[in-house]
Amino acid sequence: MQAYITINTTAEFFCLMVSLFCLYKDKAPVWRAFILFLLITCMVEGIGIYVHHTLRQPNFAVYNVFLPVECFVQNCFFYYLYKPYHSHKKLLVAWLSLFAVFYFSELIILHFKAFTSVTSTLLSVQLILASVYYYYLLLKEEKYRRLSAYAPFWWVNGTICFYFGGVATNVFFSYLVQYPGVFTHSARYIVFNILNVILYSSWAYSFICRYRQKTSRSSF
Amino acid sequence: MQIQAKDLTFLVLISCVIFLIAPVAIIIYVILYNHRKKKHKEEKEWLKTTFENELLKSQMEVREQTMQTIAGNLHDNIGQLLSLTIVTLSTINPNDPSRVAKKVESATQLAKRATNELRQLSRLIHGQELISLGLAEAIKFELDYLRAAMLHEITFDSNYVPKGERSDKEIILFRTFQEVLNNIIRHAEATAINVAIKQEEPYLTLLIKDNGNGFVEEEVLKEKKGMGLFNIQKRAALISGDVSIITVPGSGTEVKIRIPY
Repeated sequence: MQAYITINTTAEFFCLMVSLFCLYKDKAPVWRAFILFLLITCMVEGIGIYVHHTLRQPNFAVYNVFLPVECFVQNCFFYYLYKPYHSHKKLLVAWLSLFAVFYFSELIILHFKAFTSVTSTLLSVQLILASVYYYYLLLKEEKYRRLSAYAPFWWVNGTICFYFGGVATNVFFSYLVQYPGVFTHSARYIVFNILNVILYSSWAYSFICRYRQKTSRSSF
Repeated sequence: MQIQAKDLTFLVLISCVIFLIAPVAIIIYVILYNHRKKKHKEEKEWLKTTFENELLKSQMEVREQTMQTIAGNLHDNIGQLLSLTIVTLSTINPNDPSRVAKKVESATQLAKRATNELRQLSRLIHGQELISLGLAEAIKFELDYLRAAMLHEITFDSNYVPKGERSDKEIILFRTFQEVLNNIIRHAEATAINVAIKQEEPYLTLLIKDNGNGFVEEEVLKEKKGMGLFNIQKRAALISGDVSIITVPGSGTEVKIRIPY
């Protein structure tokens, strides 16, 4: 049981609870979808630990299945964020198609026997670019927004920190996995724990902002 | 090469910080830029309020100026003419029929002059609304009224074409023109006034020249007599315009106001 309680799972579960409380009655389906997405994330994490610790089997297949879900949800949310500025439906479809091509090609190349790390890195880079583009749109618009309480801004902050840190870690830290760290885990795992905490704290705060925005609007 | 556990922890922490520098820097930049946007918005609102206040003040001053002219004219011209008419009529002696006709004729002439003055005045009241026909029309009317007093030789030249809807800039420019004209009438002792409006995209230039006393700009401003000058410059700045004053004591003054239009 102790294996299931890690920094990652705790952060994910905490974020799931916050999303459940804050987004349950949200009018926008795209925000409500995060409850389901975080539930799937927690389940995937649980299954991953089960396969690794109990079945003593490699768990890459679980994460391989999760990757397209992650790609779809994150990109749909970015599409929703861009919508007030302009619609990028064709770009979204084109990117999802490209992702599918990369994903299945890599799976075939690896004979379904390893994690699709290239596609995962590609997704991370694309999400970083999407985040930067969102910042550009924010800077470009004339309207002033109170960013300290602006839900989409905090969601994007968490996303860019996680994926930027993730890509950098994957690129520069591959060799560090060989050296056992002081916490009995690899150095990369520790960095990912920190990044996960940043991601889920930002997302949780973003959900709280969304909830507060909704309640302050309805009180008028 | 072996990496010590202590070194590894340190390396992991340093790496985390380094990897997060870029996204955090972007986030801080967005926040700072957004803060500047807020300040810019506040400044814009302040400028808008100042502009609206100044516009309102200008409209009220135009009205006040008209009222002053009307009051002055009623007292100095029409009042005098009617008094003279009363005196003329009261001196008619029915027993002296040979002079009755002459006196009635004289009273009639005085009454006619008073009627003419009243007509002019009534046009002046409507003149307030002339600005809606365009800047040139309003300035022309103001100059026509001044010309009627026959104290100045006045010329007016304009290639101005109104741009459809009434512009707030025009009201402020018109009020500035009145301020300059008042200065000429009160202080310059001029005998000739030349006014010109030049419309050359993207600017509109208003030129007012007189052959009066002139003045030393620095002295006027230093002695704090220059509220009129200060107002002219302030108003022009408010509509993003610039003012140039060329004056030589004894040789007259040239005021040039240029605004984007």
